[in-house]
Amino acid sequence: MASTAPGYPLHFVPVGNLLGILPILIVGGGAVMVLLWDLVRPRGQEVWLAGLTGLFLLAALGTAIGQWIANSGPIVVFNGAYANDRFALFADFVVLITALAVVVLSPGYLRRRGLAEGEYYILLLASVAGMLVLDGALNLIVIFLGIELLSIPLYVLAGFARDDQHSQEGAMKYLLLGGFASGFLLYGMALLYGETGHTSLTAIHAFLLRDATAGHIDPMVLAAVGLLAVGLAFKVSAAPFHWWTPDVYQGSPAVVTTFMSVATKVAAFAVFLRLFSATLAPYRAEWTVPIAVVAIISMIYGNVVAVAQTSIKRLLAYSGIAQAGYIMIGVALGRPDGTQASLYYLAAYAFMNTGAFAVVTILSRRGEDCDRYSELAGLARREPVLAGLMSLFMLSLAGFPLTVGFFGKFFLFSAAIHDGQLALAIWGILTSAVSLFYYLRVILKMYAPAADVGAVEEFEVASVSPEGTAMAAPTAVGPAVLVVALAGAGTIVLGIFPAVIYTLLQGISVVHG
Amino acid sequence: MSGLFPGFLILSAAMFAIGAAGVLVRRNPIVVFMCIELMLNSANLALVTYARYTHTMAGQVFALIVIAVAASEVVVGLALITGVYRSGRRLDLDELSEMSE
Repeated sequence: MASTAPGYPLHFVPVGNLLGILPILIVGGGAVMVLLWDLVRPRGQEVWLAGLTGLFLLAALGTAIGQWIANSGPIVVFNGAYANDRFALFADFVVLITALAVVVLSPGYLRRRGLAEGEYYILLLASVAGMLVLDGALNLIVIFLGIELLSIPLYVLAGFARDDQHSQEGAMKYLLLGGFASGFLLYGMALLYGETGHTSLTAIHAFLLRDATAGHIDPMVLAAVGLLAVGLAFKVSAAPFHWWTPDVYQGSPAVVTTFMSVATKVAAFAVFLRLFSATLAPYRAEWTVPIAVVAIISMIYGNVVAVAQTSIKRLLAYSGIAQAGYIMIGVALGRPDGTQASLYYLAAYAFMNTGAFAVVTILSRRGEDCDRYSELAGLARREPVLAGLMSLFMLSLAGFPLTVGFFGKFFLFSAAIHDGQLALAIWGILTSAVSLFYYLRVILKMYAPAADVGAVEEFEVASVSPEGTAMAAPTAVGPAVLVVALAGAGTIVLGIFPAVIYTLLQGISVVHG
Repeated sequence: MSGLFPGFLILSAAMFAIGAAGVLVRRNPIVVFMCIELMLNSANLALVTYARYTHTMAGQVFALIVIAVAASEVVVGLALITGVYRSGRRLDLDELSEMSE
């Protein structure tokens, strides 16, 4: 149960605290177990590592679901450093389900690209542990640790294709710009700590509330808020701070891009929402307009630049920048309905974006990723099921009715209108219309009748490779197709019954008590 | 101590500005990486100064954790930069742009 009472001696960690972070312990312990097993396992049995990794993720997911059912109130552990509330648990669900999907996608893809190494799963689990830490972090130190635990394994994963120059280059850019963002974030934390004297978000909130009700706005706190916003905007790849995104998404192996585009965004937005909608709420009048401007720039920039892309991964990267803009609407509103709408959109985004990247993963051949637009030409004839599901994900990302993406946008825009932020809703709707253009172009390309015959032939020659492990062989990609099918089912079912997730979100808020 | 307080903060802010400017201006990834470390350490200086000023321990603990995290970031970072170098390319951020629009 809740152990908020202060004054535990440092050497005494009550069991309740450990139970509160059980999902993190399972995933973190899993990383160690996979590391040890990787040392002793027989060579060439990477698929068992994937199975073990999946088991740990499933166990963590089961624990998180159990905690959701058992506790309705916020559970604060470790002297107020970590909240195991429903907000955190919901973000945990999305992260863990995405990670599970990625683990199922990985073995076949890694084998095809010649990257099958045990380290991949260890790094993946470590990164997931960082995300779970972030979801419930209630202390500046914990937030910093979570961000770094998330990022450092991802730097390595982005450069996992060691003989691929694009992968190496993307990893280095990710490292340098990620470190740059961490610098901003950390300096913002230092200033916030200095002005308030606390690292606990709850205490900082109480301090700022006292300050703000006295009518006093501290310029140093404003500087801290600005630095924190810049650092987090980098991590969620919102528009003026997005430079790294296209190169890193394009260069990284497709499974890593899948993981990083969805799970990282969920965890970073969890911190963003908690920090701004709750802790910094007393300063809301100061930050709401800049955040809204960043959201609008992201929506415009991401959607407009995506139109000009010829690489699928780059297209999805710019689409991801635009989606970050939409999710940021909920941050800019700074109210519970905005938070819930953002969480809904993150869950929706997990289904449709994982699905879209999973299709790219399946289409990837030996040695390189499926990346050029022309490789999609005529896909509807060769792989009608995949093409149909890819079309579904594209329509959902564009926000078409009867898909989960429609309700994601609907809840965000209606929350914006409800809070009187008409400009956000109008820009959101306008840019969604623009996005329809490039999402539909992908669909048209797949269903184009016998266009680009040359490209198709080149593709078919490549797919009949000596070992016969290329995309056309359904046995090699069976589990991956299952992931795509499940993501597609989720996209449609939640698009028809949006209440399934929405009822889960009722009453979730991040406001400090 | 209290008399020196603004001085330490100004030094820390200057270090942060130098680091950030370095990241934006320099083209050698190792130098850029050093500038990032400078930014992290400027935050450490601010944290320790504030810890002294507010008579709380959290800032010092935070600084120690940042040092440990920065060390692990350096390990990964230098390995990645070495990887790029070993693939036979010049370490120049302007030339490391194989991927295009």
